[in-house]
Amino acid sequence: MTCPLVQPGTLGLEVTLPPEWDWTHLQDVLQQYFQLTESWWSPASPVRLIAGARVLSTEQLAWLAELLQKHDLVLANVQTEVRATAVAAAMAGYSVAQGELPTQAEPLGAPALYLNHAVRSGVEVRHPGTVVVMGDVNPGGCIVADGDIVVWGRLRGVAHAGAGGNSQRLIMALEMAATQLRIGRLVARTPANVAFYPEVACVQGDAIVLHPARDFGRTTPGGVS
Amino acid sequence: MGRIVVITSGKGGVGKTTTTANLGMALTRLGRTVALMDADFGLRNLDLLLGLENRVVYTALEVLAGDCRLEQALVRDKRQPGLALLPAAQNRNKDAITPEQMQQLANLLAEKFDYVLIDCPAGIESGFKNAIAPAQEALLVTTPEIAAVRDADRVVGLLEAHGIRKISLIVNRIRPQMVQANNMMSVSDVQEILAIPLAGLVPDDERVIISTNRGEPLVLEANLSLPGIAFQNIARRLEGEKVPLLDLDAPYNTLMGRLRRFFSR
Repeated sequence: MTCPLVQPGTLGLEVTLPPEWDWTHLQDVLQQYFQLTESWWSPASPVRLIAGARVLSTEQLAWLAELLQKHDLVLANVQTEVRATAVAAAMAGYSVAQGELPTQAEPLGAPALYLNHAVRSGVEVRHPGTVVVMGDVNPGGCIVADGDIVVWGRLRGVAHAGAGGNSQRLIMALEMAATQLRIGRLVARTPANVAFYPEVACVQGDAIVLHPARDFGRTTPGGVS
Repeated sequence: MGRIVVITSGKGGVGKTTTTANLGMALTRLGRTVALMDADFGLRNLDLLLGLENRVVYTALEVLAGDCRLEQALVRDKRQPGLALLPAAQNRNKDAITPEQMQQLANLLAEKFDYVLIDCPAGIESGFKNAIAPAQEALLVTTPEIAAVRDADRVVGLLEAHGIRKISLIVNRIRPQMVQANNMMSVSDVQEILAIPLAGLVPDDERVIISTNRGEPLVLEANLSLPGIAFQNIARRLEGEKVPLLDLDAPYNTLMGRLRRFFSR
């Protein structure tokens, strides 16, 4: 699955723009993403746009540059396979990398993503590390993390921990009322009667199991092995 | 400069236009001047609810095209001289106008009126984007149904992404009897999900339907009905007054009712 959102890259941040996405949809997703994820990067970080086969017009580039600037980021580099995009980017004064992107090693342990907002319906947060939400995840909201997911609030949307396939990851919430829980390649629904205490979801055997949070640290110190 | 407020919901049919019409009237009764902007191009209704349909000559599009002045397109209400409507075009669609043009019109109106209320179309597509473009604050209308609340939640996210932070909630069409019997979401259930401040509650009432069909907003009645009082209170809260919420449960919260609920559990 293509990940359109921001990832830590070699020179700062990398923003991938999947070619098959409709431009207005992409605008929505990026705008929401940046609104929700202020300040996990250092100020004035350089950004590399990975446009791939996507054609970007001068206006679209300008829109992206403005959006990034609003969030204390600097558009520095554009990677593209399309000549028209390369020309537009070069004219606007960005450095251009043409051709296929050299495959990189997986970013190891991306910094945890802290969200100080509620994750509302229609918002999908994707992150290559651990996600911590200080607020609720509402029905219709979705969190996909390669690491763990910690919700300091009610989890009522969809949470997918270990999205890269790692079933050792955990999902923790003060109120576990998720629409769906996914860890690694497993899927589960939460029970109809929601517990009134915080719970931890982990994989045991080939199923996702819920534990009361207060016992979890004692019975499985350091998480499940 | 006046305040530019968008009235929006996400889901259709929850009462955006009714709320816009009544709040506009209620604010003028409090001595404010109000411009109502219909952003529902192609499906305009606001003029009907205000009973001004037969007085619409020009629309926002003619103003933008330079075919008439803004004053000429504004329909002044005879009952409330402080109220004016800028009608949308009915023969076009949402793409007939851009967010920049909406901004331009709203700013012109805000120079002359204390309030500019924008009636947003349903959905989150271009019409929605046009309607929220000029707004500084938003009133979110929802009904106590999971579908409406889910859509409202999405809209809160979009408004926040657009930089509109001042959002308050109107819960419309509450049926206290059904809430008491646990057959309808309560206001606190709605608020628990949306987590935004409450601007007011409006009970479900047949008189709302009658008033919309007649083109006479409820707040104009001499003896205000309960929903009329509810809209009047929302207008006062917009003005910064502290008005306690209506106790819609009062008629149902009798001793017998409580006993019955206790035993039916």
